Amino acid sequence: MSGSVTRSMEATTNRATAVVESSRRSMPSGWIGMILLIATEATLLGCLIATYFYLRFKVVDWPPPGIEKPSLTLPLVFTGMLIASCAPFFAGVQAAKAGLARAAWLLIASATAIQATYLGLQIHLFIDDLNKFAPDETAYGSVYFAMVGAHHAHVAVGLAFDAWLLAKLLGGLTNYRLLGVRVVALYWYFVAATAIPVVLTQLYPSL
Amino acid sequence: MAIAIPPEARSRVERLESIWKEGSGIVGWLTTVDHKRIGILYFFTSLAFFAAGGVEALLIRTQLIGPNQGVVGPQTFDQLMTVHGVTMIFLFVVPMSVGAFGNYLLPLMIGARDMAFPRMNAVSYWIYLCSGIFIYVGLFTGNGPSAGWFNYVPLASRAYSPGPGIDFYALGLMFTGISTTAAAINIIVTIFKLRAPGMSINRMPLFCFAFLAVSFALVFALPPLNIALFLLELDRLLGFHFYDVGLGGNAILWQNLFWIFGHPEVYIIILPAFGIATSIIPTFTRRRMVAFPLVALAEILVAFIGFGVWAHHMFAVGLSSVTTIYFAAASLVIVIPSGIQLFAWITTIVTGTPRFQTPLLWIIGFIVLFILGGLSGVMFAAIPFDQQLTDTYFVVAHFHYVIFGAAVFPLLGGMYYWFPKVTGRMYHEGWGKTSFWLTFAGMNLTFFPMHILGLAGMPRRDYTYGGDLGWTALNAIETIGAYLLAAGLLTVAANLAVSLFRGAPAGADPWQGDTLEWSTSSPPPPYNYAVIPTVTSPYAMWDREDRDADVRNLAEGEKTLEQGHETASTSVVDAEWDEILEMPSRSWWPPVVAVALSGVFAFILLQRWLAAGIFLLLTFAAIGGWHWKEPQEA
Repeated sequence: MSGSVTRSMEATTNRATAVVESSRRSMPSGWIGMILLIATEATLLGCLIATYFYLRFKVVDWPPPGIEKPSLTLPLVFTGMLIASCAPFFAGVQAAKAGLARAAWLLIASATAIQATYLGLQIHLFIDDLNKFAPDETAYGSVYFAMVGAHHAHVAVGLAFDAWLLAKLLGGLTNYRLLGVRVVALYWYFVAATAIPVVLTQLYPSL
Repeated sequence: MAIAIPPEARSRVERLESIWKEGSGIVGWLTTVDHKRIGILYFFTSLAFFAAGGVEALLIRTQLIGPNQGVVGPQTFDQLMTVHGVTMIFLFVVPMSVGAFGNYLLPLMIGARDMAFPRMNAVSYWIYLCSGIFIYVGLFTGNGPSAGWFNYVPLASRAYSPGPGIDFYALGLMFTGISTTAAAINIIVTIFKLRAPGMSINRMPLFCFAFLAVSFALVFALPPLNIALFLLELDRLLGFHFYDVGLGGNAILWQNLFWIFGHPEVYIIILPAFGIATSIIPTFTRRRMVAFPLVALAEILVAFIGFGVWAHHMFAVGLSSVTTIYFAAASLVIVIPSGIQLFAWITTIVTGTPRFQTPLLWIIGFIVLFILGGLSGVMFAAIPFDQQLTDTYFVVAHFHYVIFGAAVFPLLGGMYYWFPKVTGRMYHEGWGKTSFWLTFAGMNLTFFPMHILGLAGMPRRDYTYGGDLGWTALNAIETIGAYLLAAGLLTVAANLAVSLFRGAPAGADPWQGDTLEWSTSSPPPPYNYAVIPTVTSPYAMWDREDRDADVRNLAEGEKTLEQGHETASTSVVDAEWDEILEMPSRSWWPPVVAVALSGVFAFILLQRWLAAGIFLLLTFAAIGGWHWKEPQEA
C-alpha cells in the first residue's frame, strides 16, 4: 500500500517534479498554509479599511478642510499594472507545473519587473502625498498613510519572495521549489486583489 | 496496550530510531523541531509565566486583604493588575493549551510523526519566549503597562501614559501575536493534511475539532488586535491621531477593534478545555461521547458565533439601542452550542460507568464552574444589568469562573491525564484528589464573594477601599481563598514533580484510553509510531482489529516509512493517502529568527529606527536562509 504512494520530495529534476505535480490528489500543506496566511493578512487589511470608514463616518468633512481630494488617474493606472502582473505570474506557474524551469524563470522575472516598477512608482506618489499633507496632522492623514503604507509593505515582502524564488529557480525545479512558485503566486494574487479595495478606499473622497 | 514489536521488525524500529534520533544537551533543545520537545518547552515556559501571574495575583489579593493597606502603592498595583491579566491570557492559557497540549498531542492523536511545518513550530515557540521576556523586561524595570489588560485609550495614549509601559504592552502583544498566528496555521494544516490514512474528518477525535476551531478563530481574531495595537503605536511613537478625538480620531475605535479580538479570545481560551474534557470523559466513563457530530459542530459554532458578540463588552459606552439589542441577542444565541456540549458531557458521564479518578474530578469541577460562570455571563446579556454592574467585581467574578474554572481546570485535569503518557510514570492518586479539592475550594472562596462585592458596588482595579464600606470581611475571605488556591496549585506541581522521579511505571495505556496516543510507548519515541496507524473510527484505541493490523503491518514493513524523516500526507476531507513527506529535522534558524525579531521590537521601543530596520533585514535574511536548504537535502 505505501509502496504505491509518491515520495514527492524526491522529485528534484524538472521532469520528476512535473510528474509528481500531475499525480496529486489534494493540495500540498504549503499551499493550504499560504491560504491561511492570506486569510489572516486579508483580515488585517480589512480592519484597516474598516478603520478608514469608521473614522470617516464620525466626521462631516472628509478629507478635512485644507487637504485636497486625491487625484484618480495615477493610482488607478498603477493598480491596473499590479493586476496585470498576475498574468505572467500565472503563466509562470503553468510553465513550472509542466517542468519548464527556464520559461517559468523568465515569466516570473517579467512579473517581478512589473511589480518592482509598481512599487517604485507608488513610493514616488507616497512621498508626493507626504509633501501635501502629513499623517501626524489629522486622523484622515493617519489612516490614509497607514492603509496605503501597509499595502505597499505587502508588495515589498512579495518582491523579497520573488528574489528568493528567482535565485532558487536558477538551479532548476524541485518539488519544493515548485511549491514555492505556487504559494508565491497565490500571495501575489492576494496582493493584487486587495489593491482594488485599498485603492478604492484611498480614492473614495473623489469617487 | 501498546504495539508489541514482532522480532522480524526489530531492525526496522532500530532504523527509525537512528533516523529520528534527537540531539542531546542544550544544543539539542535549541535546535529541535520535534513537536513533543517543543510542546514540553511550551509547557515549562507557560508554567513559569503562570507562576509569575500567580505571584502578581497574590500580591493584588494581599494588598486588598483589608482596607487602606500599603503592601503596594497605586502605581505598582496598576502594573501588577495589568501584567497579571496579560500574563494569564497571552503568556499562560493560550500557549499552555495551543502550544503545549496542542503541540504535544495533536500529531499523536492523528497518527502523524510531526506537525506540518516543524521549523515554523519551533519558531513559534522561540518567538513566544522572546515576547514574554520582552513584556516582563517592562515590569522588572518599573515600566510595566498599567492601563488594564484591555488598555483603553485615551488612558493608554501618550498624553496620559507618557512612559514606555504601554509600548511594552503593545509591541509585546504584536510580537507574541506573530507566534500565535504561526502556531494556529500550523495546527490547521497539520489537522487537514497529516491525519493517518483512513481518519476521514468524521473519524477525527473531538479534541482535534476543538483545536481546529480555536486555530481558525485565532487566524481571524488576532488581526483586529494587531491593527488596534499597530494604530496605537503609530499614535504613540509617530504622533498619528487614530484615537485622538481632537483631530478627527475616535477613542471607541480602540474598543471596537480590541473586542472584535477580545470576545473570540474568550472562546479561544475555553475551547481547548472543551477538547480536553471530550478526551477525558469517554476514557473515564468507558463509553463514547453522546451526540458526537453535534458536539463537533457545537465546538465550531461557538468559535464562529464568538465573532458576532463583541459589543456586549461595550454596553456602558453609549452605543445606539439597536446596536446593543442586536449584540445582546447574539450573546444569548451562543448559549445554544455551549448548552449542547454541556448536556453532552453530563449525559455521557451519567449514562456511562464513571471512574472518579483525578482527571475526571477536574472535568466535573470544570462543568460545575462553567455552569456558574456561564450563568453569570448570560446575565450580562440583559443590558440594564450589564450597565449597572460594568467595571465592578461582579465582572471579575464572572470571568474568573470562566477562565480559571472553565479553562484552567481542564488544563490541570489534562496534565494529570496525559502525565503518564509524557513521562512514562503515574502520579499519586491520593495527592491528585487532594490537590483538586484544595484548588476547587480555594477557587470558590476567592471568586464567589466577588459576585456579592460587585453587587454591592465595589469597583474593579482600585488599589484599595475604605473601611466603612462593609467590604472588609468578604475581601479578607477572598485573600484567604487565594492562598488556599495557591496551595492547591502547588500541590499539583509537587505531585507531578515528585511522581516524575518516584511514580510507578505507567505503561503505554494506563487508562484504557480511547485515542491513538495511548497506542505508542510512554513517553513516545521521536517518530511517534513505528507504523502509520490504521484508523476506522474516532475511538481508534477501542478498535482492536485496527491495532492488530498495526502489528501485522510492522512485521511486514507496510506503512513503516523508514527511508528517511518521513510521514504520511493525506487528502483534506477523506484522508486518502496522497504522498509521503520528507520532514525537516534539526535547525538553528528558528531561534535565530526569534532573536533577530526581538531586535526589531526592542529597537522600535527605543525608537532607533535604523537599528530596527537592520534587524528587520536580518530577520528576512534568516527566513531566506532557513528556506534555502530543502527538506530532501537534509
